[in-house]
Amino acid sequence: MTDPNNSSSIDRRAFLKGTAAVAAAGVGVAAGAESTRAAVTALKPHYGMLIDLRRCIGCHACSVACKAEFDVPLGVNRSWVEYIEKGDYPNVRRSFLPRLCNHCSKPQCVSVCPTNATWKRKEDGIVVIDPDICIGCKYCIQACPYDARFLNPKTGAADKCDFCLHRVTKGLEPSCVQTCIGRARIFGDLHDPESEISRMIANNPVTVLRPEMGTQPNVFYIAADHSDPHTSHAHGEYIRIETHRRQAERR
Amino acid sequence: MTAELTWGMPVILYLFLAGVGAGALTASASVLLRGGGGGFGGSHVEIARYGAFLAPLPVMVGCLALIFELGSFEVGNWFRWINLYMTINLSPMSIGTWLLSFFIMVSMAYAYTFVPNAPFLGEWQRPLRVMLAWVSVPLGIATAIYTGILLGAMPARPFWNSPILALLFMLSSISTGVAVILLFRALLHRTSTPEAEQAAKESDYLLTATDVMLIGFELMVIFLFLMYAQLTIGNVKEAMSVILPGGDLAPLFWLGVVLIGLLIPALIELYYVIPELLYHRGFASPRYVDIVVSVAVLIGGFLLRYVVVIAGQVTGPVGI
Repeated sequence: MTDPNNSSSIDRRAFLKGTAAVAAAGVGVAAGAESTRAAVTALKPHYGMLIDLRRCIGCHACSVACKAEFDVPLGVNRSWVEYIEKGDYPNVRRSFLPRLCNHCSKPQCVSVCPTNATWKRKEDGIVVIDPDICIGCKYCIQACPYDARFLNPKTGAADKCDFCLHRVTKGLEPSCVQTCIGRARIFGDLHDPESEISRMIANNPVTVLRPEMGTQPNVFYIAADHSDPHTSHAHGEYIRIETHRRQAERR
Repeated sequence: MTAELTWGMPVILYLFLAGVGAGALTASASVLLRGGGGGFGGSHVEIARYGAFLAPLPVMVGCLALIFELGSFEVGNWFRWINLYMTINLSPMSIGTWLLSFFIMVSMAYAYTFVPNAPFLGEWQRPLRVMLAWVSVPLGIATAIYTGILLGAMPARPFWNSPILALLFMLSSISTGVAVILLFRALLHRTSTPEAEQAAKESDYLLTATDVMLIGFELMVIFLFLMYAQLTIGNVKEAMSVILPGGDLAPLFWLGVVLIGLLIPALIELYYVIPELLYHRGFASPRYVDIVVSVAVLIGGFLLRYVVVIAGQVTGPVGI
């Protein structure tokens, strides 16, 4: 403090040292950007599913596994498989479309819930319902563009797929994924670029259902047939959808 | 139409009854504030009284119907709906819950100020009545609009997802609210003196002329609702086709809502309103005409909710 020159030189030295440190850190950040991001996202996964329909044989094993896992009441489904039958002989095609909750990044079911009984988990992006809070007003059932929700006749609350939260939190795969005999279903962390699902999505043309609804679904499909009676009839093409649900029509 | 209905008759009934109550309160409070007589309704205070007494009950019955339809209520969790009051968020239903609760309280208090020599009020009866009327007008309109927003909030239901639906529901609510006042006046009104008879005629004219105007606006909004659906492509056009000629709900919509609910009452009302409106020949509509007209408007209001609620649920986005 008594010698201003001395003090300023120390300051300058400290300043230069500091700059060097910052520059070094900057280089380090640039070099390790990939690993840093992986480290951050490893803390918070964002789960999604990819269904490779080239491998799906429409056997309903996923629907059955889901029923068994949750004891889902008769007449309602958390997970189901639709059959799409179209064309006139000899140009015909039968495709399968396994359906489940899309665990959307912009879930409309969540934004209409009046009691905050359903929310998208910040930990892993799974959309869940607390049946002890839900009053069963059915607003979310109306708001879901995928008809993924239903009123559980036993609990009187809205219900749907939760990506087998009880299994996933223990490090297991969802029941439908584990049971799939064609290994058509891949479950994993979309935030981790090294996960199998992220690599498959990066390496293949993928689609989601009803993207125009703005929901940003986290269930992806490879080779899905998006034909729908409403769109196909305009071309005069024969088409029949079997939903295998009590709700016979897609809506 | 094999689609399952998630929201059935209780919701339809609720939308109709909440609309009637909200409309009756709005009409009553407006007449009280703007009907002459220094803020006390003047010669039209009778209308204000009918509206005030008619407003709370339909809304309460409608809300009860909603509670009976809750999934939690059906499995025996009878008081689970209290969870609605544990939070407030931006869901239209959450805001609507608080709005309806506030509506029921205010409309009950407002009705109480019309009880002759109401106990506990004393000299406060009239000032309180006017204060509550000032709250009631925006509250009634908000409740009427809310019923349309509730349905309109979902892109997944293209039939409902229209900004003009809330306006249609609001106009229909006020129209049915006016009709219910007209109906109960026609059924219960007794006059003794010629002056009272003259005042009753003027009130009758006010109600009928208001109803004609509201029906005119309603027809215009329905025209715009259909017009813009017809001019677009995709989801909305596909959904709207259920009420256009050839659609499953077209007969109910065109015969029930438009003809019985709007055109016939409007024409009958015009027949009696025009001589007074244009030539000041005096307004003289027989009691049975008031009854027929108001019942037709109420039927139309109910069928509008019925058609809209069903149509929204049997249609969805096009494609998958």
